[in-house]
Amino acid sequence: MQQSENPSRDRILARIRAGLHTPAAESADTTSSGGAIFEPIRNPLDRFQQECVANLTECVLTADTTASALQLAKILQSLPEGEVFVQDDPSLRWLIDVVPSSRPIRWSSQGAPAETSQATVTLVEALIAQTGSILVTASCGGRGASVVAPCHIVFSTIAQLVPDLQTALRNAFREGKLARNSFACVISGSSRTADIEKILVQGAHGPRRLVIILQTGT
Amino acid sequence: MSATAAQRFLQDAAVKSADLVHRGIILHGLESYDAAHLRGRARFKDWEAARQKCQEIKQEAINHLDRYLLQFEEKVTSRGGHVFWAANAEEACKYVVDLASRCGVRTVVKSKSMVTEEIYLSPALEKAGIKVWETDLGEFIVQLRNEPPYHIVTPAMHLNRRQISELFREKIGADIEGDDPSRLVTAARLWLRRAFFAAEMGISGANFLVADSGVIAISTNEGNGRLCTSVPRIHVAVTGIEKVIPRLEDLAVLWPVLATSGTGQPITTYSTLIGGPRRPGEPDGPEEFHVVLVDNGRSQLLADAEQREVLHCIRCGACLNICPVYRHIGGHTYGTTYPGPIGSVLTPHLSGIREFQHLSYASSLCGACTSVCPVKINLHHHLLYNRRNATTEGGTKFTERIGFRAWRYTMLHPRIYAFAGWLGRAALRVLYGVGLAGSILDPMRMWNRRRSPVPLPSESFRARWRKGLAAK
Repeated sequence: MQQSENPSRDRILARIRAGLHTPAAESADTTSSGGAIFEPIRNPLDRFQQECVANLTECVLTADTTASALQLAKILQSLPEGEVFVQDDPSLRWLIDVVPSSRPIRWSSQGAPAETSQATVTLVEALIAQTGSILVTASCGGRGASVVAPCHIVFSTIAQLVPDLQTALRNAFREGKLARNSFACVISGSSRTADIEKILVQGAHGPRRLVIILQTGT
Repeated sequence: MSATAAQRFLQDAAVKSADLVHRGIILHGLESYDAAHLRGRARFKDWEAARQKCQEIKQEAINHLDRYLLQFEEKVTSRGGHVFWAANAEEACKYVVDLASRCGVRTVVKSKSMVTEEIYLSPALEKAGIKVWETDLGEFIVQLRNEPPYHIVTPAMHLNRRQISELFREKIGADIEGDDPSRLVTAARLWLRRAFFAAEMGISGANFLVADSGVIAISTNEGNGRLCTSVPRIHVAVTGIEKVIPRLEDLAVLWPVLATSGTGQPITTYSTLIGGPRRPGEPDGPEEFHVVLVDNGRSQLLADAEQREVLHCIRCGACLNICPVYRHIGGHTYGTTYPGPIGSVLTPHLSGIREFQHLSYASSLCGACTSVCPVKINLHHHLLYNRRNATTEGGTKFTERIGFRAWRYTMLHPRIYAFAGWLGRAALRVLYGVGLAGSILDPMRMWNRRRSPVPLPSESFRARWRKGLAAK
């Protein structure tokens, strides 16, 4: 943005700087207690599963890639007829090809998921035990891959599990994930709302189901 | 002559606090929030340490606001995004309307953003012939009713399912049997899906602007924010300059604290980070990304060292939920974009202390708001500062000034005080004796209107003291 197109920029900055000349009034209590804010997570896998139950995410553990492929096929079979959008990644191509199906597949290399997609299948950047969340970026099939279809299925491995949000965000920053992607999201369950009389309803605008296939073996 | 904001406030407060149906709906919503909030807090090892940490993060950000905003801007522009600095509502609206007109935008989908409410962005777009759809379910409901949001977090909490069902049948022609919430949600989903995929522009707010990463952070549960920022070809984020935070890692505590204070959740379902338009190789996402940084009075508040911390607010709504005044009079009565304690503190700074000084008195000063604020803003003290400022800036009536001068004089002269007390008691005795209690001549009528009348004492406190009260 050219400066000439934004004449207020310098005025606002000047006002901010002038305002900050006067130090802020001391707050009553600004000394950090230094104590731990969250309980330490002793068993990340147990915690992750507990949190998934709490936030209504379906988490399925599998022993190996064959079991993961069978599990994926089972989930896809349970869905209504229609196209499935899949992140174009060799590991997901393998999982999809193991169990042949007549269902139309749209790969992320072909573009964004169609509005009518029945499900999306993607990888994740990380799993977060503290909140039972997944971390996805635009590399995981794009932005729409985790929100357009009524069912979002993710394939992940135990090596991707981190104990807490801080670790996930720190890793994302250090590994330049946000510099390489225009988008990232920590997803903690299916789309939901409680705007009507505080009654929880799943599938407000995004997926009604979030299913995590978590492969614990090789 | 039209009523002033203060007169409207008093009238609406009287109506709403006497509306038992309204109070029942609000109480139900807030009781369920209270339980969830307590459960959420229990998930922290040390909730107070979390509040302390959040306060420190926001304090650092606000005390170095210029540095962090420039760092954020540099990162966003380096990735092909645009950052526009708007001094006021007019500039912000003009930028967005001009952009929409230039790009041939006919439909806009919006996710919830209080700043866009503050600057009246939707009316500005509609005036330019652009259709705007609010996509947060609560916002969609109040949009159909042509009402402002009732609450920062739950905009339609004042309505029950029957009212919403009738609204959907009438306004969007939804074929809904009964008033089951899941059917109502499905009706809204189907209606808004068309809007998401037809819109050329998506507008969001931002809960945080992360300086070291140059990303905006948006928290939503419904996924409407995700669709608004993924599907249309232009994404505009409109946000206040005070939303910046230094580091990405700060979200590790801010996200859980915001969710716990806002709804009682451990974390919001979609905690999204967006740093620019879609990059080469990404299958989808907007081609253009704009961030509008709105000042609109914030830099003026920043210059007030005593009240600067008001800019720490993360708009969680916890102070509204706990406020006994809000619980009785509801959100619309305030007549402001930001209701409740934080609104009563902030609005005089953003919209004028003369017109909105009455909000400083819409509080029992119980301090409940301060006790729950996740960034430890001393809210009830700021209400007192606003009261003082309104008085010192000459916003008081002539009769009030004379009255307080007379009161001061009386308090400094014991004999006159004693005489005034005797005169008052005698006059009231006569007045009540001839049956004029509650009439226009009764100086106690305002006090007694909603309270049991105070019995008139037969003698003054001083007289009782002399008779030996001190010895007891």
